[in-house]
Amino acid sequence: MQPQLSEAVRSCPLSRREWLWQSGGGLGGIALAGLLGGENLQAEDETLPSSTGPTGGVLHHPAKAKRVVQLFMSGGASHVDTFDYKPELIKQNGQAWDPGESVELFQNGHGETMASPWKWRPFGECGKYLSETVAPLGECVDEMAFIHSMVGKTGVHSQATYLQATGFQLPGFPGMGTWVSYGLGSMNENLPTFVVLPDRRGYASNGPRNWGPGFLPAEHQGTIIRPGTENPIADLFAPHDTYISRQSDARGLELIRQLNRRHEQRRPGDGRLDARIRSYELAAKMQLAAPEALDISGEPKHILEMYGLNHGVSDFGSEINASEETEYFGQKCLVARRLLERGVRFVQIWSGNDNRHPRRNWDSHENIERDHGPLALGMSHGAAGLIRDLKQRGMLDDTLVLWTTEFGRMPCSQGSKGRDHNPFGFTNWLAGGGIRAGVTFGESDEWGYKPADRDKPTYVYDVHATILHLLGIDHERLTFRSDGIDRRLTDVHGHVIQEILA
Amino acid sequence: MHAVEDVETSRELGSFMNDRVVRKAIADSGRQPFKRATSRLNFIAPTVNGRFVLLCLLSLAPSTARGEDELFRKHVAPILATRCVGCHHAGDAKGDLDLTRQVGLIAGGESGPAIVVGEPSESVLLDMVAGDDPEMPKNGDPLTAKQVAVLRKWIQMGATWPDDLTLVEDKGPWWSTEPIANPPVPSVSPADETWARTPVDRFIVHKLREHGLAPSAEADRRTLIRRLYFDLIGLPPEPAQIDAFIADSSPDAYERLVDRLLASAHYGERWARHWLDVVHYGDTHGYDKDKPRPNAWPYRDYVVRAFNADKPYGRFIREQLAGDVLYPETRDGIEATGFISAGPWDFIGHAEVPETKIDGQIARNLDRDDMVSTTMNTFVSMTVQCARCHDHKFDPVSQEDYYSLQAVFSALDRADRRYDPDARIAAERARLNTDRQKLTAKLEAIDTRIHQRAGSELTEIEQRIAALEQDKPKQQSAAFGYHSNIEARDDVEKWVQVDLGKSLPIENIIVVGCYDNFNSIGAGFGFPRRFKIEASDDPRFEQKVTLVADHTQDDMPNPGVEPLLFDVDGPRSRYVRVTATRLATRQNDYIFALAELKVIVPDTVNAAIGAHVTSLDSIEAPSRWQRKNLVDGKFYGKSTASSGADNLALLRRRQQELIDQATLPATKDEQQRAQELLAGNSNSIAKLPAQEVVYTGTVHTGAGTFRGTGHDGGKPRVIHVLERGDVRTPGAVVQPGTVAVIDGVEARFALPDDHAEGRRRAALAEWLAHKKNPLTWRSIVNRVWQYHFGRGIVDSPNDFGRMGLLPTHPELLDWLVAEFRDGGQSMKALHRLIVTSSVYRQTSAGNDRAAETDGDNLYLWRMRRRQLDAESLRDSVLLISGRLNHQMHGPGFQDFVIDKPEHSPHYEYHRHDPDDPRSHRRSIYRFLVRSQPQPFMETLDCADPSQSVAKRSQTLTALQSLALLNNRFMVRMSEHMAQRDAADPGDLSAKVARAFARTTGRSPTADEQLALTAYAREFGLANTCRVILNLNEFVFVD
Repeated sequence: MQPQLSEAVRSCPLSRREWLWQSGGGLGGIALAGLLGGENLQAEDETLPSSTGPTGGVLHHPAKAKRVVQLFMSGGASHVDTFDYKPELIKQNGQAWDPGESVELFQNGHGETMASPWKWRPFGECGKYLSETVAPLGECVDEMAFIHSMVGKTGVHSQATYLQATGFQLPGFPGMGTWVSYGLGSMNENLPTFVVLPDRRGYASNGPRNWGPGFLPAEHQGTIIRPGTENPIADLFAPHDTYISRQSDARGLELIRQLNRRHEQRRPGDGRLDARIRSYELAAKMQLAAPEALDISGEPKHILEMYGLNHGVSDFGSEINASEETEYFGQKCLVARRLLERGVRFVQIWSGNDNRHPRRNWDSHENIERDHGPLALGMSHGAAGLIRDLKQRGMLDDTLVLWTTEFGRMPCSQGSKGRDHNPFGFTNWLAGGGIRAGVTFGESDEWGYKPADRDKPTYVYDVHATILHLLGIDHERLTFRSDGIDRRLTDVHGHVIQEILA
Repeated sequence: MHAVEDVETSRELGSFMNDRVVRKAIADSGRQPFKRATSRLNFIAPTVNGRFVLLCLLSLAPSTARGEDELFRKHVAPILATRCVGCHHAGDAKGDLDLTRQVGLIAGGESGPAIVVGEPSESVLLDMVAGDDPEMPKNGDPLTAKQVAVLRKWIQMGATWPDDLTLVEDKGPWWSTEPIANPPVPSVSPADETWARTPVDRFIVHKLREHGLAPSAEADRRTLIRRLYFDLIGLPPEPAQIDAFIADSSPDAYERLVDRLLASAHYGERWARHWLDVVHYGDTHGYDKDKPRPNAWPYRDYVVRAFNADKPYGRFIREQLAGDVLYPETRDGIEATGFISAGPWDFIGHAEVPETKIDGQIARNLDRDDMVSTTMNTFVSMTVQCARCHDHKFDPVSQEDYYSLQAVFSALDRADRRYDPDARIAAERARLNTDRQKLTAKLEAIDTRIHQRAGSELTEIEQRIAALEQDKPKQQSAAFGYHSNIEARDDVEKWVQVDLGKSLPIENIIVVGCYDNFNSIGAGFGFPRRFKIEASDDPRFEQKVTLVADHTQDDMPNPGVEPLLFDVDGPRSRYVRVTATRLATRQNDYIFALAELKVIVPDTVNAAIGAHVTSLDSIEAPSRWQRKNLVDGKFYGKSTASSGADNLALLRRRQQELIDQATLPATKDEQQRAQELLAGNSNSIAKLPAQEVVYTGTVHTGAGTFRGTGHDGGKPRVIHVLERGDVRTPGAVVQPGTVAVIDGVEARFALPDDHAEGRRRAALAEWLAHKKNPLTWRSIVNRVWQYHFGRGIVDSPNDFGRMGLLPTHPELLDWLVAEFRDGGQSMKALHRLIVTSSVYRQTSAGNDRAAETDGDNLYLWRMRRRQLDAESLRDSVLLISGRLNHQMHGPGFQDFVIDKPEHSPHYEYHRHDPDDPRSHRRSIYRFLVRSQPQPFMETLDCADPSQSVAKRSQTLTALQSLALLNNRFMVRMSEHMAQRDAADPGDLSAKVARAFARTTGRSPTADEQLALTAYAREFGLANTCRVILNLNEFVFVD
């Protein structure tokens, strides 16, 4: 909210350059539209020509998607055990692994070539091979586009997670959802624009900094929601067992409004005073809307089944297990769909927490089967449910789904059953709004070690550029001036991956 | 100084020279090593119209054709540098043409050779820039006819280009790097003269009049005192203080109030917070795992103290960069260097990845990047970090400049540093340490002599010992050893013994301690502090007992898991018993545990293996703890490859024998004396007061992957220019230095070859604190102005470069800078100058007419209304509710519970008790977690300690309203506020009025009083206080 903005537009004693600064940095017209808060100004009006400057308030080009769901597997999900079928690993299982160049591993555990513990088979019309631990997604492969030529920059979790989440290896940069919120603004009046559903066991590396505002206005940061817990949104309601009753609350809010209005009327010419009054009204609306959005109890049985929420288990025990993973990931996917339906623009779902022992994330140094098995099965139940549900509601056409992780895992073993980090090659997949369905772009080499064509790696910048492109944004033109640099989500890189566009 | 005086084109040339001609020269296009020994930087500084122009060229050899050189230097170079080189430079040469160097000119580009010497009409270069509609330059106006004439003449005369002269794009002068002017205070109309209290006001009103604006009326005293309180100490005035100020009729009441607030210790707490925003101070590392930094706070306290002591700014700079070098014997000198390490740090990238790996190098490069950008953003508002991957696109910072700054910090790591805050103690410790080194050296010399005498057998044995120790894998079997019952006291006697089955001629007995990480004990777990070993044929050890070892009189140092060897001199025995007479500490209790007991009989056979074990008691917790584990041959550290550990003890014994034989009595005496002196030295060191610890940028000596530079004696790492910022493509080595912005001061530091690491930082500190550094002084004065007015004179406080904003009042800025810099560099004087002005005392009321001209109030026709920052809001709530804990300094309070601290700490704020009085201290003492910000404070836009926050964002969101209404802190404080008021006399109406006045600084109007009291009657005072704390009038300061 920048209430002084209209003042700036009116008075304009500034140069154009300074004016852009005043309105929040080197932004194009598109972000201004977001600031002015009018969804109608942009995404609805997809036929308008490209941005006409700061007052244009339109998309850079027609959008294919309006919403994004980002599924983030924390710890480094193995591509060669899930989506990237490598028969060579089966053939050479147990033999020395020699890619013909020196391999720098994170933990020096360079073992033999290791086949995945799971069987592989083709799915869908496209015949995509998936491992049986992600088999539930088999029903969706004809909606998905796979990228097996992803490369990162480092095998260190924190830096790599930052890179995938914010486009930079350092802290202090806004997450992708923050950029999208900043660029496109809100599509609703009573829920946050960018919602984060963390893993119930804790945060991934870097914690909430992965979806922090960075240098963008703080209102664009991700809002944490924990579905199924006592307080899904912090401070949404006053704590129980206090002097505050429903009535004292309601009457108190009314009194605040009344006194604030009187205060504001005596101080004309400061839009912030009114904005703050409206923020309390918005808060009240959110109190009504959020519980309804998060309540999945009314969802019919067949929908719950779609998300794998029909396993009938209620006590999960202490060992990592598929039922529990399915329950929690599925719940988040279902809540994501409900939020998207209600106008939330960007939902980020995390699977796996930090590096705590025993493993509850994808960082399977010790045992791929033990951790990846339940995590991947749970994830794929939920993700498949989300894709199918969005499709049957007609929402998949303008909702983008991105599956990602900070890096992949090595084709060779570590210890006897684990795999070390592989920042040189991993997999992303996308589905939905504007994505070419059932394709694979960018193969990895015969081991899944590096891109098959070493000269054509795919970086996170390309994925981000593609997502922004589908949202109607030119990634080179969505900028914000911070400490002397017009910052972009894609730094100075990024190419839209035309091959996966519908 | 070279005046511009030549040829027919002098007028135009004058204007070229008016622009900065060549910012600086870089040896051979910026990719070659900077060869100080053979090169010479020439700074040619012509002054044109009073403006300083810098021309620096690099020349390797005296020119032979002096006149032609001059033509190039004075007339041609300026044209190329200002109009051509921006696009045609090495690395990014448009049309493949590089016009920065002679070789580039000769090589030409896509269109062939750029010139034909002596033939202007055949030269592509001239063709491109001449004519009615020239193709070049692509951007901007065509060259003037005179400029074209210069180029033509130059080509005609042979196109001389002095050897090795490299041009850098000149973008012309830029306000922030111009020398600081001493602008006259503008004269203003008599009416404005009356309004103006200070020179600041004259500058402001002069500018207002230029824009057809007028200043606003002065705010009332009630408003002024609230404004001053929040601004200077970050807390609201109490109603009584307001009343007293309003009633004070003396003419200097306002000035006295200002002085009183500046003298308050709260002032330092308030203004240190601003500084910590900029330097992004935090109490955890950030990144993965985000471990706490328990010793970061002394730096925070230093900043609070520095503000309160009104430390001169130059000293403040020097201390933070190099206090350990420049003021080594002072607390401030050491603690201030916490500045260098204040930012986030990739602990995993250092602790788990060595410097030899790519990932390790990336982590260290990013670490130095943080140090460099923090320093340069903070002190000189320069965004040098842009030059990590390429020369700065907008400002005169080359990649070499940038990496020369990295070289300044290249010896440093982020680590705890121990120090003696008392200078005398520090000197004493230094003396003792020197003695210690001498004694150690002496003992080593004696040892060498003994070895020389002992000959080859000793050498051989020691080699064998070393080999055994080296391949001794630390292994823990599932069977730890024998473990007694647990006792509440340590003086309970316990024994364990083995039965060898028959009497045997025992030569040695070996005992080995256990390893168990319980209570982080590890090696030597359960090893008794006092014990004895006996052998006998009597299983009850009552008759004919041979005492093998007696350590019952004094505590013995815990041997860890090193085997202890004892000789046995006595008759054959069947039983061996170990008796503990003082037990080992476990947690708050005591035990006796042993991993292994060996009984060596002739031929080094261990007769105890598998023997029957009895004991006074045993916890018998298989498989880890049971009696039979004592003789199973398994213990921590036992080599699997050989029975190394068995042999080790025997070898050690032989080693000692040989040493004893080889030691002459005189040598023995000498050795003993040295050992005694060393023991005395150790004693003296131990008696010194414990050292204090601060987390700083320092030389780290560590083991394992993260060794720091300590193992190299703190030798700086060699820093290369990294092509595209990639550690895999190192270019030229760079020397420590900085950016050329001060007239006459070289960018690279002139340091002797064998300089100590700290000299680099001291040199940078001197450059930063240099009185002629135009950026330093403008930067800090602008920051102070910004915190007073909500907007800087330059509204991009961390960026005074070309991508930043221009100053709205450049003359005022320079005037203030001169006052500040030359008048003692006192922050408090600067505050006084600003807040006693009339412009500061204006009302914040709106004015439609003025808003039409200057809607953003750039020219300060009114005071800017301030939205409370997170800390001021929280601290005020604590004060108003009567809960503020005024305790200053010391470790930060934690308003979270740490879950799982050992691996990746989870900082759980929701589990904190908001009534815990320890957490009721001012927010500056909050323990700042980087990865998991405090949700309440973050919602209120507190600074993110992962980035330099030069200016807080100010948002008004629904989540903020919800936090102020419902966060447990607010809910509880409203209750405390009500209880505080309830205790005071008066009826409900009076209590409501008091709560309202405490929060807003005024009594409620009749309407407000009525509405609030009615609400209080129905829902109670706590609910009413909750309402009051949510009022705009609390959150905004007029």
